[in-house]
Amino acid sequence: MRKPADPVRRGLDVFVDAAPQPQRSSLRLLLALERRPRGRRLLARVHAIDLLANGLLAMGRYEDPVHAVPLGWDADAIAARGRALRHAEGRP
Amino acid sequence: MNGGRRRAGGVRTIDADVCVIGAGAGGAVAAAELAEGGMRVVVLEQGPRHDADRFSARPLEMLARLYRDGSQTTTLGSPPILLPLGRGLGGTTLVNSGTCFRTPPQVLERWQREFGLEALADAQALDPCFARVEHALSIHEVTPELAGRNAAIARRGAEALGWSHGFLKRNARGCVGSGVCAFGCPASAKQHVGITYVPRAEAAGAQVIAGADVRHVLTARGRASGVEARLLDGGRVEVRAPRVIVAAGTIHTPLLLARSGLGRASGQLGRNLALHPATGAFALMDELVDMAKGVPQSFYVDEFAAEGIMFEGVAGPPSYVAMALPLSGRRHAAAMADYRRLAMFGLMVSDSSRGSVRGLAGRPVIRYDLVEQDLARFRRGLQRMEELFRAAGAREVYLPLPHGVAPERARARDLKLMAFHPLGTARADARPAHGVVDGDLQLHGVEGVYVADGSVVPSSLGVNPQITIMALATRLAFGLLGRTVPPATTDEEAHVLSD
Repeated sequence: MRKPADPVRRGLDVFVDAAPQPQRSSLRLLLALERRPRGRRLLARVHAIDLLANGLLAMGRYEDPVHAVPLGWDADAIAARGRALRHAEGRP
Repeated sequence: MNGGRRRAGGVRTIDADVCVIGAGAGGAVAAAELAEGGMRVVVLEQGPRHDADRFSARPLEMLARLYRDGSQTTTLGSPPILLPLGRGLGGTTLVNSGTCFRTPPQVLERWQREFGLEALADAQALDPCFARVEHALSIHEVTPELAGRNAAIARRGAEALGWSHGFLKRNARGCVGSGVCAFGCPASAKQHVGITYVPRAEAAGAQVIAGADVRHVLTARGRASGVEARLLDGGRVEVRAPRVIVAAGTIHTPLLLARSGLGRASGQLGRNLALHPATGAFALMDELVDMAKGVPQSFYVDEFAAEGIMFEGVAGPPSYVAMALPLSGRRHAAAMADYRRLAMFGLMVSDSSRGSVRGLAGRPVIRYDLVEQDLARFRRGLQRMEELFRAAGAREVYLPLPHGVAPERARARDLKLMAFHPLGTARADARPAHGVVDGDLQLHGVEGVYVADGSVVPSSLGVNPQITIMALATRLAFGLLGRTVPPATTDEEAHVLSD
């Protein structure tokens, strides 16, 4: 049985799943390569591809509060503050 | 308007005076004004009605939820350009930065001169349309306090260099600088049309149907007769209306018109695509920046606007920056470790390049190649951007170019570009052989079919287009009502309108 995906991987999966084909398959391949040292070395040969793959994986990593909160970004607190303000002022 | 009848074959029919396709900047505004003017209006929106309680301030999650294709719509060409488009009630106004510029006077003059649009581009006649939109959306200038430290750095650089600059005007009320305008404002402070004009339309009796995928605009004997759409539950709806306003956006409007066999006579449908290609640069500062605290797009530098180069603020949470940083490997990791001291600013080009949109298996294929003139603008713009950051005291500057490539030697394929302002694919031109719609935004040769979105804008604007589109939609609505646009209401009344 496969282990359930961690939250970072789940967030990335949702993002990649929303992409149209054939980008979706390409992104999955890129991420699979970027997660492996040999794959990473291969991708590093093409600047634009390297940036995309590295950026995608990093985007997932920094969405995780474990990495974001120490950098001063607490998404849950921002969303909760916004919600409270919206409800208090009766905005839609 | 009737509430809808079932016909044989499960097709629901609705009679209306006007059917509006799309609830973004153009469609929502036209629908509200027409409904308030007494017309029976049906709005068909392909995307969902979003619940602000589910706005999580997490970019990755919200990109997947609020954008078409999870924000991964991309052009084909050199270089490929990411073209994020909003999806749902509010359209792209739901996810844009909220920046509001009126159409620059020199652009209006060009529309009159080159496209024969004397009435449409009459600055005096458009003035009450802009004023009405500005009041309805509570548009005002960002304060320095709300703009945050990212803007303060750009301001410091611009002042040191003596460059023209200022704080941007935005459609926001009660903004606390959540920093996630592009990912769904959790405070509903940004006054996008999904929470302003759409509720107004509904309050005035318009029927707004979300999740309605319009398949065809129907015509009979050269006149509009209605619209056919598929619903999420598998059902179908036919709106019978003598007027149809197509406002599906610059990328999807030409596809819908082509599918309906409309608008093709001039050969211009789907062509003349302008994008305002853009990019972002970063600077490592000695001071704490915390770029996501404050309004992400709050400040501009327009010193080089006459050359087609505009600098506007951009910023985001760590995950957004992680994707946008033009670095990889250890350099990327080191820059992210210094996220709190990173500043970011954007560069947008008023483009001469023109692309095209066509449909393939029901999806848009967007072709766009950067011409030499625009590449030169990016080269110069990036040089100036570096100057701006250095003048502000940057310790390091990260330009969106491969390591070791200087701006003046950049090739198109070296650039990392995005674009947020697609325009022109059903452009207005008084001459039927040169444009898709006329000066009243009506399709040439077809009575009763109008277009009210970015696709009618015949040239690059050089500034963010949302209130240009809204003002044109206001003008169209009052034209259909046969009334002049009334003077703007007072601030107090405007707030009531947008509540």
